[in-house]
Amino acid sequence: MDFLQIASVHKAYGTPEGTSVRALDDVTINVRNNEFLTLLGPSGCGKTTLLKCIAGFEDLDGGDLILHGRSLRAVPAHRRPFNTVFQNYALFPHMTITQNVGYGLDVACVKKPERNRRVDEALEMVRLSGFGNRRPSQLSGGQQQRVALARSLVLKPSVLLLDEPLSALDRKMREAMQMELKNLQHSVGITFIFVTHDQEEALAMSDRIAVLSQGRLQQIGSPVEIYDAPANEFVANFVGTSNLFAGKVVSRERERVVVETANGRRLASQDDRFAVGDSVKLVLRPEYLHIVGPGQGEPGCVLEGTVKDTVFVGSVMHIHVDVGFGRTVTAHHRHDRADDEPGIAAGAAVRIAYAPAAAHLIAAAGA
Amino acid sequence: MFRGFRPGKLWSALFNSYGFLFLAFLYMPLALIVVYSFNANPINMAVWTGFTLDWYATIFGGAGVEGTFDVAFTESPERIFEVVKNSFLVATTAASISTLIGTATAVALARYRFAGKRFYQALLLLPMLVPDIVLGIALLIFFVGAGFHLSLLTIVIGHVTFLSSYVFVVVSSRLAGMDTTLEQASADLGAGALTTFRRVTLPLIMPGVLGGFLLAFIISLDDVVITYFIAGVGSQTLPLLILAMMRRGLRPQITALAVVIILFSFAVATVGMLLRNRKS
Repeated sequence: MDFLQIASVHKAYGTPEGTSVRALDDVTINVRNNEFLTLLGPSGCGKTTLLKCIAGFEDLDGGDLILHGRSLRAVPAHRRPFNTVFQNYALFPHMTITQNVGYGLDVACVKKPERNRRVDEALEMVRLSGFGNRRPSQLSGGQQQRVALARSLVLKPSVLLLDEPLSALDRKMREAMQMELKNLQHSVGITFIFVTHDQEEALAMSDRIAVLSQGRLQQIGSPVEIYDAPANEFVANFVGTSNLFAGKVVSRERERVVVETANGRRLASQDDRFAVGDSVKLVLRPEYLHIVGPGQGEPGCVLEGTVKDTVFVGSVMHIHVDVGFGRTVTAHHRHDRADDEPGIAAGAAVRIAYAPAAAHLIAAAGA
Repeated sequence: MFRGFRPGKLWSALFNSYGFLFLAFLYMPLALIVVYSFNANPINMAVWTGFTLDWYATIFGGAGVEGTFDVAFTESPERIFEVVKNSFLVATTAASISTLIGTATAVALARYRFAGKRFYQALLLLPMLVPDIVLGIALLIFFVGAGFHLSLLTIVIGHVTFLSSYVFVVVSSRLAGMDTTLEQASADLGAGALTTFRRVTLPLIMPGVLGGFLLAFIISLDDVVITYFIAGVGSQTLPLLILAMMRRGLRPQITALAVVIILFSFAVATVGMLLRNRKS
């Protein structure tokens, strides 16, 4: 059963030059009950616009929002059963924490005893009991963040909308809040629609991710689907990094599909969704590429080249390998102190291999 | 003796004395009038003949006017009290109405989109730029043409026409500095437009609203030119009375009155400053 349907939503903005920019172009998403859905994309992709349209701060130019079968287009923001956690938290500076959290309940004329009980519960939920009499300016960024959450969740909305709520926090705090948010979503059982431009954050927190670019929905799926089977080149490059090889499918037998690039390089894959002759791009994630010794590696799944440079980032070593025809491939080599590092240094000749199952195919752009 | 006296110190000494001279330039006339108001010499204020509080007494009615040098040229405390009362009545009423109009207009222009907004904005600033004397004559022609009897009411109406613009400017700047997501947050939490205004917008722009009120109040209180045209017989305000007194010559009583007005203005300005500094 559909919960919230975002149906063919369109939104355009006029620019000062008189032209119009498509902020949302035919976006359709069926939001499920109790899921943690992330809208992911670079800045200007339309993700925040979509969130504002759902909240009711922006009107739709086309399409519809349907909650439990009823259209929300004519429902103003203050009558929608959604609440928002703003990027800058938007706490009322002239009110105490208790007054902030109780605001929605006061507006809804909830009786004092119940109001106070629910405010206390909400503050306890975000571990801020005892902070009730302080002002927002007396709290740290992380604490303000939690007040904003409490202020929204105290109203028990059907959907909680979160607009890049973690972007103002430092890295450690952000990672802690990611786990806290995910746990909170599980315990309160409310649908979260979370906007971010940070793909790691999206992968770590979401049940499903909707990737947006230039106002269009690129792909929607679980983090694993998005990462392992990107629908197109944009997703492949935006979520994680990818080595892409453009070519044509030249043979397709049993579980082995061979792609030949323009300069004759042949690479194998197990992805059999394309027919012989189709223009495709073969996606190889850097962590699925391994340095192997001479003679090792499955035929058709090996690239040979020379190391251009290496970048050590702690958990892995990024190795950039020139594989001929002007192509550089990035491999993530797992760093192991116990290992004798093979001669991986600039100028060294190496063989890189992958498992055929690791190579994913996408349709070439325009094909 | 010149130990440690570097060029930097010379410059800083020069700048400091410049600052001091500038302040002196600003406040010397005011200081002078304060000194004169205590001078016992009734004829030539520039010649000090001794300390007296008589001039203040003639304002507040502590001493009889009879005792002073030129009875004919001195206004009675009753007269001064009546005129001060008029002035305060006009200033309070005009500032209150202007604050309502100016604030509502500022909110409408800052938060809503409508046709002709830019034009409306420009029109609002015009009354502040039109020379007072032109505005005064225009108002007089209007009141006479419309059959108004010139009174305190016409002064209030006249003042509201240009004071609203001042309040509008002050409140607008406060609104411009306010985070609009706070209003979105209020709507998001279920509050309608009126509740949002009452519980979020208004408290946050209150320093601007009060500041606008005080500004309007002070401007109304000391307006001469416009008031001169639209005040009727029996609806004199304090600045008009002082102007009338000045026609008969600069008398010590005027200096005492001036000092009282200066003190009052300082008090209002101080309240305004405190309001501005609070939470910002």
